[in-house]
Amino acid sequence: MVDVIVWPGWLGGLGIGLYLLAQHWTSNRPLGCSLSYGSLCALGSRAPYFTSGEFERRDNWRLWFVLGIPLGGFLALLTSGGNWQPTLSMGAMYDAVLPQALWAKASLLLGGGMLMGYGARLAGGCTSGHAVAGVALLNPPSLLAAGLFFASGLATVQMLFRVFA
Amino acid sequence: MNYAFLLFGAVFGFLLSRAGATTFDFYAKLFLFQDLQLLWVIATAATVGAFGVFLLKRSRARALDGQALVYDGKPMRRGLVLGALLFGVGWGMSGSCPGTAPAMLGEGKLLAGFTILGILLGTYLYGRFHAREPGGL
Repeated sequence: MVDVIVWPGWLGGLGIGLYLLAQHWTSNRPLGCSLSYGSLCALGSRAPYFTSGEFERRDNWRLWFVLGIPLGGFLALLTSGGNWQPTLSMGAMYDAVLPQALWAKASLLLGGGMLMGYGARLAGGCTSGHAVAGVALLNPPSLLAAGLFFASGLATVQMLFRVFA
Repeated sequence: MNYAFLLFGAVFGFLLSRAGATTFDFYAKLFLFQDLQLLWVIATAATVGAFGVFLLKRSRARALDGQALVYDGKPMRRGLVLGALLFGVGWGMSGSCPGTAPAMLGEGKLLAGFTILGILLGTYLYGRFHAREPGGL
């Protein structure tokens, strides 16, 4: 696995904060990621939810945004001085704590993804929409959601690494 | 304008990677208090964002199309507490989130693909069986 270049936390946060402002200022659309998955669902579902509101048009900004993100990851890897080498590793810690069998690991990640997809819709946003953009607006529901994300993530990781490791 | 978001997404994905948010183990290290990299990232991003929003509001900046900028926060919802708690479990289990998983896939971290499929499935189940409101509102 090629290690990507990682900036100091404050610099990474500065970059993301400036990005957030640039997107909001130029497009008048606040940062958010989880609804992009609704745009992807809307490509294949005609359920009322996926044909109304933000998803009324299949060609919407959230669709293009989520398609752009992997390109950014790819560029970040190439500019880290490595070749693109697909890997099944998640890094030392998660590799050690999650089951070794691929089907079991894949099932856990699928389940974790489902919790995030369903949970983000119940909560009205994810890490970017609530914990970054919403906190930047000092919006009370987002502050609450961000706090609960951290509390629940903390409990989950503590349990995962203390009980199963 | 929609196509421009392909570029926006790429810049965001690049920054997530440089911030360490596409490195699974930083999530474990954060919640085991071994390395608070991602806490500093989120805290700095939110602080810079809050300061910038303050300046944008004060200067009465307008969007490129001349419209007044919208600063409406997300509303309180009935499912927010439960949803946020469920989200956190998935966040800790997978060492990724809806924004970072696609960037991980772009880096070649293939297991993030299963997380992405899960997020899609969770979103679909919500929209198909739970939602009473119009999409995304």
